[in-house]
Amino acid sequence: MTAMPAQSSRPPDATSRPDASMWLLNQVMDHSLDEGYEEAAARRAAAGGNPPRTLRDRVWLAVGLLLAAFVVTAGAAQARAGAPEVAREREELLERVRAGTEGADRLQAEVDGLRDAVAEGRRAALTEEGGERAELVGLLAGAIAVTGPGLELVVDDAEGAGTGSGAGPREGSGFSDTGRVRDRDLQRVVNGLWAAGAEAVAINDRRLTSLSAIRTAGDAVLVDNRPLVPPYTVQAIGDGEALREAFEAGPAGATLRDLRDHFGIRVTTGVRDELRLPAATGATTRYAVPVDPDAAPGDTGTRETDHDTEEDYTP
Amino acid sequence: MIAVLGLVLGIVIGVLTRPVVPTGLEVYLPIAVVAALDAVFGGLRARLDGKFDDKVFVVSFLSNVVVAALIVFLGDQLGVGAQLSVGVVVVFGIRIFSNVTAIRRHVFRA
Repeated sequence: MTAMPAQSSRPPDATSRPDASMWLLNQVMDHSLDEGYEEAAARRAAAGGNPPRTLRDRVWLAVGLLLAAFVVTAGAAQARAGAPEVAREREELLERVRAGTEGADRLQAEVDGLRDAVAEGRRAALTEEGGERAELVGLLAGAIAVTGPGLELVVDDAEGAGTGSGAGPREGSGFSDTGRVRDRDLQRVVNGLWAAGAEAVAINDRRLTSLSAIRTAGDAVLVDNRPLVPPYTVQAIGDGEALREAFEAGPAGATLRDLRDHFGIRVTTGVRDELRLPAATGATTRYAVPVDPDAAPGDTGTRETDHDTEEDYTP
Repeated sequence: MIAVLGLVLGIVIGVLTRPVVPTGLEVYLPIAVVAALDAVFGGLRARLDGKFDDKVFVVSFLSNVVVAALIVFLGDQLGVGAQLSVGVVVVFGIRIFSNVTAIRRHVFRA
């Protein structure tokens, strides 16, 4: 066993077989019969012929067979008893998954309904309380749906992007493959639209407010923490034709052209006579409160909150 | 005659009592079954070879089952129980196959 025929340059000697590496398998296959039988047979032969089988021998055999039959039967019974058990557990798990999914769906529907109700109530309150001025504020804040002429941009990933093929200059953090529209592309587009005089902007029917963030998580672009699915439809309300000219003359327009020319990102621009932009959902402030006109600027209130936070972090 | 009685009795006991295998021993039962089958086929082949010995049969059966269970138990303790079970099943499987092949040669002369 010390000789390694595969590596030695010498011709293989008689002891090394061509299937030496299969030693274990050969061993198992050649010695499939228990050696005990051979030895017993040899012993009998040495004692001179086969002695007649005694009752004890027969009982031995019967006990062995009994045990073997019992073990095999017990195994079969166990397997048969276990099969429905496993299937039942699987079914129960599936049932729980289904019930959980249904519950989550129900809750999501409830959340959506309540959110709509809140938005409705806010809109009603705004129109009631403040009249004209409140409507303007709500409109600018994205709290109420708006309609008007404007510009519609459809930005889509390049043909074949997302299949993971082809690395190019646009690889880097975030999206691994090129030809995909990234958060910062959309940010530029939206900034360009604001700069060009847009009065309200929405991406894929998600209204942008002063609190909106366009960012990336994994492979998806998020607007207000909700993932978007390409193509990205950016709608901006403004003076259609003028908006388009201003946008395309600006840096954002140049960026879009670059993306189209170099990375195959598909862009279509269209002036629309009437666009409907929905109200933004869940626009609330937790910390910002209106400044009391009588109080001096730089109220101590901010300092108090600072103090609170510091205390939270004191070990 | 007594042997056949033992065989039938074993099956009957297995069917009737529906033995409840303790949870801890459940994993060893399939191994024990394979070991038992190996002993049975080995004994059958020895019978046909004219080398059968009752005592060797019983002892080989018991030792097969015990050693196989011990190997798997040891593997469980070491965290490689599944792999060792596979090893035991492979070895017994090969042995059963070659024994059945020998039996087939005896019975059908082919």
